[in-house]
Amino acid sequence: MPVNFPDVQGKRDTVKEQVTEDMLKEVIDLYISETDSISLLDIPSTFVSVDADDAEPIMERNNQYAEACRSRMDNDKYVDQSVQTLNGATKNKQVQSDSIVMVDKVGSTDSTGNNASGWVLSPVMSLLACIILLCFSSASAASSLKEVEALGNSLNAESDLQLIMLSEKFQHCLLVMERSILGNIFQPQLAAYRQLPVIEDPESPVKPGMGEQREEDAESPRSPAVVRLWAFSCELSRGSSVSSMAWNKKNPDLLAVGYGEFGSSNQKPGLVCCWSLKNPTWPERVIRCDSAVTSLDFSSNNPSQLAVGMQDGSIAIYNVKSRDNKACFISSSGCPNRHLDPVWQLRWTQQELSLTGEEKVESLFSVAADGRISKWFVSNNGLDCIDLMKLKKSHNTKKKAGGTTTGKKTESVLSALTPGLCFDFHPTDASVYLVGTWEGLIHKCSCSNSQQFLETFKKHFCPVNHVTWSPLSPDVFLSCSADWTIQLWKQDHHKPVLGFTSTQRTVCDIKWSPKWATVFGAVNEGQLEIWDLNSSILDPVIVQPAAAGVKMNSLLFAPQTDCVLVGDSDGQVTVYQLRNLCVGDSSQVTLKGKPYIFVPEQHQKRHYRPTWTTVEEIQYTFHF
Amino acid sequence: MPPFPSQAEVEETLKRIQSQNGVQGIIIVNTEGIPIKTTLDNASTVQYAGLIHQLVMKARSTVRDIDPQNDLTFLRVRSKKNEIMIAPDKDAFSNKTSFLLY
Repeated sequence: MPVNFPDVQGKRDTVKEQVTEDMLKEVIDLYISETDSISLLDIPSTFVSVDADDAEPIMERNNQYAEACRSRMDNDKYVDQSVQTLNGATKNKQVQSDSIVMVDKVGSTDSTGNNASGWVLSPVMSLLACIILLCFSSASAASSLKEVEALGNSLNAESDLQLIMLSEKFQHCLLVMERSILGNIFQPQLAAYRQLPVIEDPESPVKPGMGEQREEDAESPRSPAVVRLWAFSCELSRGSSVSSMAWNKKNPDLLAVGYGEFGSSNQKPGLVCCWSLKNPTWPERVIRCDSAVTSLDFSSNNPSQLAVGMQDGSIAIYNVKSRDNKACFISSSGCPNRHLDPVWQLRWTQQELSLTGEEKVESLFSVAADGRISKWFVSNNGLDCIDLMKLKKSHNTKKKAGGTTTGKKTESVLSALTPGLCFDFHPTDASVYLVGTWEGLIHKCSCSNSQQFLETFKKHFCPVNHVTWSPLSPDVFLSCSADWTIQLWKQDHHKPVLGFTSTQRTVCDIKWSPKWATVFGAVNEGQLEIWDLNSSILDPVIVQPAAAGVKMNSLLFAPQTDCVLVGDSDGQVTVYQLRNLCVGDSSQVTLKGKPYIFVPEQHQKRHYRPTWTTVEEIQYTFHF
Repeated sequence: MPPFPSQAEVEETLKRIQSQNGVQGIIIVNTEGIPIKTTLDNASTVQYAGLIHQLVMKARSTVRDIDPQNDLTFLRVRSKKNEIMIAPDKDAFSNKTSFLLY
């Protein structure tokens, strides 16, 4: 008798019929017995008498058969061949039953790998969740949501929910779900970022105004502009000012942003958020720091290590892989040599060990307001440093009239070091670096010489905010400062080759474009400027003013795509895409005539020394 | 081993998903297909849970028939008016049957 299991599928649509405890406990008897033997084929052997007429041919046939049987083994005439019976079309019948879990003793693991700690808990532990989400397409209006209490009628509904909510897999499901929804919402912007063609939804209703707008766009001349794509912002970061941003070296979609207020009156705690491009509404990791964050950098050797420099001079290294705030966190607070003033810039750089020349070791370098540039390494569960350079104040060549003795006394009381604000390592020779100081000087230094500067570049008379080597042209670097100017230098020349100024505001940040050799971006508090040396050296090619009441602080180019990120004083990091920036193929910019810095007339009313110096006529040619 | 996510974080994530523009509702279902948490009304929830259960099983068996090492990770059903997104778990809707013969 075949075994039959009852079919329970049909009961799904009506909620009324419930599987009660009694029904489950009911004992159902199944009887299995042996069937009678069925014979399929029966051919009995026949007997023929030796004296019969056809005895001889029969005997011959028998002998032949015996012969054949004996020679069957290696004979070529006989080949083993299998035959398959035809299988009829299968019909699938789905049956559902409770999973049978084997439990021998407490603490053992069952077949699915879950830890079965008791027969009551084991079926519950293997319960995992599935989330269903219903979304509208963008065309329809939003509907209202109603909160309903849990529907589960089974006894373990409460505990089910708890266990499911806490399980790691559920969290992962939620993450994937959130990213898919945001992918839907931000699809056009993300596609523009990744330079993919935007696919229009064929079913969405075409608005009457859109057709006209598209025609207008096609007709108007394509001038370079930036288009705002989206902004990374959340409630945690609103109100704090963005101080620094850094891309992860391994995952180009991961961005770390440091926030902090720099007013000396309030010492608000700082914040570091790691944003993923796939979720612009909530950061992937939130790290709270003790004091305002001033600088950040990701390591290249260990891509999950993030070094954070803070306003109180401490440096901490966080591991962004773990979700726990304080896990894997090394700090410099125990180091006796630590910086006591804000760490203005941090950098992980690979340096070649002098002996081998082949090995590259990565170390963390920092420049701080106490005038020291230090190299950090991990020791005894903390960070320790050695000083690479001390930024000594340059002595004033002018002699003060009288009172020299008092002058000397005050000098010995004050520190002889000047705050360093920024530094940058040479892209190919990592032992050479530039430092920008509070005095406005830029020093070129070497890691092997900690007493003297190799060269000093004097032009700025206000603090140098940022100095950066060009990644594509060797020996060219840019510096920007609070004296409203940006200077372009070549390594061997003591005077800047070109100077740029466009507004009467301090230039906060400046970066070279990673793609085009003649393009760089600058941010002063009121606007974002993109300069292209190929088209104009007097004016920026693109100017994007900041939103009202908001100051733009920091700038970052996105690698492999033509977007820039701008951080502002409201805690927002806005992503702009550069459009129609035609950078010509020619890589030469030729300047004839007297090199000078052009300052528009309205600025000349201010008191400072003449804005241009005459030098003999030199033709400058830049090869980018 | 990453640390255990806290209940508060999970609740917060759920709230964020719910508050996104255009999300109509969320249903959380256990392996047997019984909804245990939902933000929609009872009737819709039961209807969706029942229908989706069969769809996910079919999708899953399709993927696994083509390549037994493979498994379903996400399912999206886009229609004229809306889109349904389903994130099944690895062991969800697994169809374990066994016969006992004496």
